[in-house]
Amino acid sequence: MRRSTVIMTLVGGLLALGAGTRLAVAHHSTTMFDHARTMTIKGTVVELRWVNPHVSLLVKGIVGEGKEQEEWLMEMTSPGNLVRAGGWSRNILKTGDEVMVDFSPLRDTTSRGGALKKVTVVKTGQVYTANIRAQEMPGLE
Amino acid sequence: MKLPVAVLMSSLLALASLPLLAQDTAKAPAQKPKPILNPAPTTQDWADIAKLPDWSGVWNPKITDQDAQVKTNMPPWKPQFAAKIQKQLEEEKAGRPTPIVVSCLPQGMPAWMLITHNAMEFLFTPGRVTILGESDGNRLRRIYTDGRGHPDDGELTFHGHSTGKWDGDTLVVETVSIRPQTMFAVSEAAGTPNNGDVKVIERMHLAGPDILHDEIEITAPNVLTKPWKTTRIWFRQRARKFDIVEGVCLEGNYSERVNAEGDSVFVEVERHPWGHMIAPKK
Repeated sequence: MRRSTVIMTLVGGLLALGAGTRLAVAHHSTTMFDHARTMTIKGTVVELRWVNPHVSLLVKGIVGEGKEQEEWLMEMTSPGNLVRAGGWSRNILKTGDEVMVDFSPLRDTTSRGGALKKVTVVKTGQVYTANIRAQEMPGLE
Repeated sequence: MKLPVAVLMSSLLALASLPLLAQDTAKAPAQKPKPILNPAPTTQDWADIAKLPDWSGVWNPKITDQDAQVKTNMPPWKPQFAAKIQKQLEEEKAGRPTPIVVSCLPQGMPAWMLITHNAMEFLFTPGRVTILGESDGNRLRRIYTDGRGHPDDGELTFHGHSTGKWDGDTLVVETVSIRPQTMFAVSEAAGTPNNGDVKVIERMHLAGPDILHDEIEITAPNVLTKPWKTTRIWFRQRARKFDIVEGVCLEGNYSERVNAEGDSVFVEVERHPWGHMIAPKK
């Protein structure tokens, strides 16, 4: 199957599963995620959506001590903020890259979603944080 | 001969116009007002800009301070709004944030200066200070420093009508004519429509080589018991890699795909009413 066909099928699947409505989206508070908990998923990048206002990362992998491969959707802040806070670019994560992601899961435990805290690219060992509140200083390099 | 006829004709015409002139002076009918023009900038205008403080570069908001002020500096809401904000804060803490700014309309004034998580930059041009934001293609404030006042029947807009003047190195800005629907927000999940008649006064100035303070006073008679003051903090980046890049709010609603014909297209994705993306179900 062509990759684009796979992705189209995936998007279709997500649209079918979703319980929400078609809604214009902008900035939102992130308390739908449980920031007191941190979980880890080890797997591969399915898709990085480098978009405003919130970048998202779909990962397929194993969560914690689990056995099954699962797909989890991570959300972060905007591209500009990720560049400043964690040295991100749209090119650091490509489909198929092996990654390890620390995240705070959605409080709604029927859904596999999380607020990404940091991602490690396994091949390079490079770590990218999504915490924009940790780097509030002028003159960043 | 031609010339004398021409002279005669022009003399006659001159004489003929005299009574009209006399009539004009006698009746003094209302003259149509000349349109006000924005003059072309002079070399001096540009030279004067060089004397202004350096606000170049990219400015990021101090979000931790925004968070802190929700607790330490709540506006003096009228009772019914205080109750609503309190409920919103409780809902947010419980993991059900109220989606007050999830439409992709500009947040406008005063919300932009109060709750944005995104960068901004200043442009100084003759007669104007322009503020450009990030993560919304249409986030822009025009502050007129050419001495004009606010228009009498000012059109209401998302960012209002702003006039400013330099008091030493401080830019003093007055903004009125803000649409009543824009949020008076203290966070992304707590706030109320401003409900109209808002006036915002700002004193913007550097508070360090790379720190900018925006001392804001908001008069909002329909939601506050009295005017409210807050200082918002910004810090500067100069590294080119932090230059503000185009950010379109609505692009988050779409994914990049290639369709059956091989065309690059946007396909709409689905979102939860609270604003986050729908995650796969277990």
